[in-house]
Amino acid sequence: MLMPRKVKHRKQHRGRTRGISKGRTEVTYGDYGIQALEPGWITARQIEAARIAMTRHIKRGGKVWINVFPDKPVTNKPAETRMGSGKGNPEHWVAVVRPGRILFELSYGDETIAHEAIERAIQKLPIKARFVSREESF
Amino acid sequence: MSELLLKASTGRAEGTRSSRRLRREGQIPAVVYGLGTDPLPVAVVWTDLRHAITTDLGLNALITLDIDGKKQLSLVKDIQRHPVRRDVLHVDFIRVEEGAEVEVEVPLVLTGEAKAVDQASGMVDQIIHNLAVLAKPDSIPDVLHADISALEVGNSLRVSEIEMPPGVRPAGDPEAAFAVGLITRSTKEYLRSERAAEAEAAAEEAGGTAEVGEPEEES
Repeated sequence: MLMPRKVKHRKQHRGRTRGISKGRTEVTYGDYGIQALEPGWITARQIEAARIAMTRHIKRGGKVWINVFPDKPVTNKPAETRMGSGKGNPEHWVAVVRPGRILFELSYGDETIAHEAIERAIQKLPIKARFVSREESF
Repeated sequence: MSELLLKASTGRAEGTRSSRRLRREGQIPAVVYGLGTDPLPVAVVWTDLRHAITTDLGLNALITLDIDGKKQLSLVKDIQRHPVRRDVLHVDFIRVEEGAEVEVEVPLVLTGEAKAVDQASGMVDQIIHNLAVLAKPDSIPDVLHADISALEVGNSLRVSEIEMPPGVRPAGDPEAAFAVGLITRSTKEYLRSERAAEAEAAAEEAGGTAEVGEPEEES
């Protein structure tokens, strides 16, 4: 699973996810992509699950790019613990996503199969997302 | 080539609110610059602009802007779109001269079949999708074709190998690779899992026959 090799601070504030994505809103490397339509946190497990769903469907002859990286630690307090006594322990890593962000890109010859693969990957994500392609109409 | 005439009105107010007001009225805020003149904020009608940029040449169509009665040859330099809605927010036009070369990005389409790559379960990774070329405004090609039949796994094709129409030359590095034949990590992963499944099935089969064989030995 994706996670930073080392970090300056082990714990972070939650932050706010307002507005739309500032960049990476176009399909750059591949032919098709998954675009986020909602703000949210995507965990490293969800990114990996989406990647596996996509690569298993295309089988061979395709290439997948992951455009998000889970660099934000999320902490949890152990079960049945009283409140207080400081912040909980870092449990997992998430990527902060805003609407418009291209999360994954895919390069594959057959558009139908690519579309199916992307739909399967979208099912693994906790936010609304859509299939986008490089070719855009006006 | 038929002339594309687009009426651009000057005197629009700059800023977010006035630009939004313009868009609500069916106009797109734009700017015209180039040829050593100051940038000029203008507004164009969206339906006319849409008609101008949806020809075969796409965004590289040579547009004659009618700026308050003055005709000016121009090209679309940049289009800003909303990240989610994808509607056009702003357009940059660059002034061009008829005889002078301009740098434009032309779509690069791969033709042919890379059989050597297909046989090796590989894929053709297109690195450059839009190639920057230098051409006179009237000789800008709609699309550039590049033959990939000779591509093999581990090899790449270079910009210098693309057949350019007369009057067109690459603007960037001619030795830059535009397509690579490769076997991706996901394909390798898939082939490995396929082999492992086959080996498991073979082992099970062998184990199954041994189990069948044991009672025979006992008897």
